Amino acid sequence: NSEVDNEGTTKKYSRDFLLKFSEQCTDLPEGFEVSPDVAEALVGSSGGHGHGHGPH
Amino acid sequence: VDTLSSSSSSRPGTAIAQHPLEHSWTFWFDTPSAKSKQIAWGSSMRPIYTFSTVEEFWSIYNNMHRPSKLGQGYDYYCFKNKIEPKWEDPVCANGGKWTMTFTKTKLDTCWLYTLLAMIGEQFEHGDDICGAVVNVRKQDKIALWTKNAANERAQLSIGKQWKEFNDYKDNIGFIFHEDAMNLDRNAKNKYTV
Repeated sequence: NSEVDNEGTTKKYSRDFLLKFSEQCTDLPEGFEVSPDVAEALVGSSGGHGHGHGPH
Repeated sequence: VDTLSSSSSSRPGTAIAQHPLEHSWTFWFDTPSAKSKQIAWGSSMRPIYTFSTVEEFWSIYNNMHRPSKLGQGYDYYCFKNKIEPKWEDPVCANGGKWTMTFTKTKLDTCWLYTLLAMIGEQFEHGDDICGAVVNVRKQDKIALWTKNAANERAQLSIGKQWKEFNDYKDNIGFIFHEDAMNLDRNAKNKYTV
């Protein structure tokens, strides 16, 4: 039972460990909907579409 | 040999084990245009996304603009879920904040390192942390909000560790939210590390 190891302890992750996952998580979270309120915060969402050279 | 069709029903990419974080965290966003329309401070903040795994963190972070790419007057917040980044929040009310100031070149890295230290529970007194704020201004700032301002030992530990994580050499100061509320810009640092 692999869950036993972590029981009762804090889930600590070093910076180097966390950084390893950066490149494999580049898509927006599943089901995430960009609301107009926060579109400016997100890459590729701010100006609507039609610029022609932004990210896909 | 038809190995693919005989495998289990799970599709590639759907069964990746995620790494759970100790806490759930929420990214918030505030814009100068939204702020200018509001009377009550803080009422224009909008939650972007709440994440509780390492993978979810990167999925949202990698799609957000780096702070240095935002214009002046923009703010990002990353706070433990259920804690609103406001002085009035019951968890924050007796708290305070450490503040670092930056030039644009180091802002993005230190914002990321601050986030990773928080969500990875690298602070000895991590329970005392509410969240972090980045204010994009002429003089950019990152602040780390904590809960129990009067607990000097915990605050000093957090301040010292935060400087280490960011390799920050200047002194930083800690202001009680209560002082900031009453004295505004005249609030003095209670602690310095």
